[in-house]
Amino acid sequence: MNMGRLVMPVWQVILVLNLTLAVGLGLGYAGWGRRAEALDREFEAARAQVERLERERQACTTGARAGQQQWEGRGVVRAIYPQLLVITHEEIRGLLPARTTSFRAVSPTFHESVQVGDPIRFSLRGTVVDDAAVVAVELW
Amino acid sequence: MRLFLLAVLWVHLASSVLPMGAFFMLVLAGYSRISTARQWDQTVVAWSRLLVLVAIGSGIGWLLLRTAGFENRLQAALEPRAVWHAVLDTWPGLVWLARHGLLVVLTAFLAMRANVADKRDWIAARGEALALAALALVLMSGSSHAAAITPGTALAVAVDATHLLGTGVWVGALMPLALLLRAASRGAGADARPYAVRAARRFSGAALIAMLLLMASGVMNALVQIESLAALVGTTHGRLLLAKLAVLVPILGLALMNRTRILPALSGSAGRAAMRRLAAFVGVEAGLALVLLALAGAMTLSTPARHDPPVWPFPFRLSLEILTDVPATRWRAWLGSQLAVVGLVVLIASFLVSRPRALMRAGALALVATGAGVGLLPLVVDAYPTTYRRPPLTYHATSIASGMAVYREHCAACHGATGAGGETSAPPPLTSPSTSRRHAGELFWLVTHGIPQRGMPGFAERLGEAQRWDVINFIRALGAAEGSKTLEGQVELDRAWLVAPDVSISVGPLAPGVLRDYRGRRMVLLVLYTLPASRPRLIELARTYDVLSVTGVEVIAVPTHRAADAIRELGASPPVLFPVVTDGERDIVATYGMFAPGAHAEFLIDRQGYIRAIWRAGGGGIQAQVEKLNEEKAPAPFPDDHVH
Repeated sequence: MNMGRLVMPVWQVILVLNLTLAVGLGLGYAGWGRRAEALDREFEAARAQVERLERERQACTTGARAGQQQWEGRGVVRAIYPQLLVITHEEIRGLLPARTTSFRAVSPTFHESVQVGDPIRFSLRGTVVDDAAVVAVELW
Repeated sequence: MRLFLLAVLWVHLASSVLPMGAFFMLVLAGYSRISTARQWDQTVVAWSRLLVLVAIGSGIGWLLLRTAGFENRLQAALEPRAVWHAVLDTWPGLVWLARHGLLVVLTAFLAMRANVADKRDWIAARGEALALAALALVLMSGSSHAAAITPGTALAVAVDATHLLGTGVWVGALMPLALLLRAASRGAGADARPYAVRAARRFSGAALIAMLLLMASGVMNALVQIESLAALVGTTHGRLLLAKLAVLVPILGLALMNRTRILPALSGSAGRAAMRRLAAFVGVEAGLALVLLALAGAMTLSTPARHDPPVWPFPFRLSLEILTDVPATRWRAWLGSQLAVVGLVVLIASFLVSRPRALMRAGALALVATGAGVGLLPLVVDAYPTTYRRPPLTYHATSIASGMAVYREHCAACHGATGAGGETSAPPPLTSPSTSRRHAGELFWLVTHGIPQRGMPGFAERLGEAQRWDVINFIRALGAAEGSKTLEGQVELDRAWLVAPDVSISVGPLAPGVLRDYRGRRMVLLVLYTLPASRPRLIELARTYDVLSVTGVEVIAVPTHRAADAIRELGASPPVLFPVVTDGERDIVATYGMFAPGAHAEFLIDRQGYIRAIWRAGGGGIQAQVEKLNEEKAPAPFPDDHVH
């Protein structure tokens, strides 16, 4: 039998190999690369979820309603009203960057325990930024 | 160790560049059935096979040495875990892996001795080898200095990749071309002479394009990595580039002669002799190109010029500021520039006329030289090795206040408390525009070594380096304070020049911020206040804070006295909600007090970080000035964080 006829010429072999490589890399990225990116995003979302659940668990142990979370912050008291505390605070993880914010105060007795200018640690409870209220305050 | 590293890098660079160029030369010369050409093809492929193996070997050596460098201990080079970590967990390691993967594939490809007698097979085989070698070379830019540039990483890497590709095409192809020319110039190689002539002509065209690409990408690389003339002549990286250019000049001369003289003579009657000469010259060019690669390797190992403090090598520099300070120099500069322009025009004209060229050119050069002498000599000023050093400390209130204390102790006796001169001696005022325009590095040299002929002592022994830079920051602030006397409570549109010294803003025990954080986001009204006199004004600001805040202004209050209790001291009614500095106020008051020394002062700082208005007693009418700034169409660029 004449084997020569069955052997592909070198240029065809090279072409096929390069095509395989290009298609392999392309499909590899389309599949695995994009999947890796999606997994990264999922991982971040899961981590945020875990942190959220942790805050909810913390809120739950202190008698909060279901779905409420608890955040911890540090800051300086700037103004005190019967229902409101204005605090210049550091970043509150998962809620706010460092700035001055007014928070609803759940207990009207807070204004007796702190004064303007006091450095404090405080706990917030709520479902979103707008309904987060100060539930505990202690001097820093 | 460094020399060994350079040697390994050079071998790796050369053995990566040469095969790529070799396959490029083969593809460029084209397929041929002539026996001398086929023999040349076989020789080049055999050499390339060997060089790729050398590239892999030296690449492994390079990796081991780098691992030892990363881990900072020599034995790490022999620990599989350390090497594994360097390859898989670092970006340069991954690039290394990709490149060497390609080199291994290329080795395997070259090891397969497939039958390429057919033209299409030959083109495919050589083209494939070229593509693999080129890819392995170009990927090198992924872990070069260019990859560390942000922003614009992609552009910098693309430019660097172009530079590498140009190098491969030009440097790598020289040696195979010399081999072909030598083979064809021999008696036995007569059959390949037309083939060799065609190859040389094609290479000449390709090399011209490669050289233009190399120069363009080289200039772009240099602009990004070197940035200034001082960095070019004053740093190792810059000087290596100059050395590279110095080697490039004879190469270009040779290339020009080959292209214009020898190449046309190849097909003439003395073609064989011309071919032999061309082979020798191309060989010399290739040798010089290898020197270039060694210098490029050394540049890779050196710190990029932009990160290295330059050491100015000349005792003089040119200063355009002289034109402002000494009006008499203006006419000389004008006359000199005109003479030089006329000289250049005559020089250009000499290319257009047939005779008398030599005379015209000599005259033109004489005019340019005279023009330079007349125009440039008055601009020459003294310079020192540290003239272009950038201060390591930013223009920050803490540094300025420390500088003020050092100044009062060591400098005020001669220079006076305000820098205008002391009672017994009269050095030039430190607040004069000419002092303000001096480079910070120049002042650093003068403070360090003194000016013996004028009786100023050096302070290298008495003051630490940081203290000397503090004094320079203070002297800059002195000059700025002097210039700011005309600045009042009215914003002048599009005239931002007074840089606001940075300050730390500490409110209670919270993590402190800095003034610079507001740049590009909000204006700042910095208020220095003293109680009880400032109370009415603070109450007014507290009441209008919401309006100011909405129009883009942050108010930052700084008490002029001990401030730990400052917030409590201001009281609860009306509530003061803007930041009140409770720590580090002394430095801020000392620094900003230089601009406005009263008990109450207000500074309006725009979004770019420039002081635009100063109220030296009380404040008021701020809203109108804020609106003016909000209407400004073309804000000034952000000021440098360091004085210069």
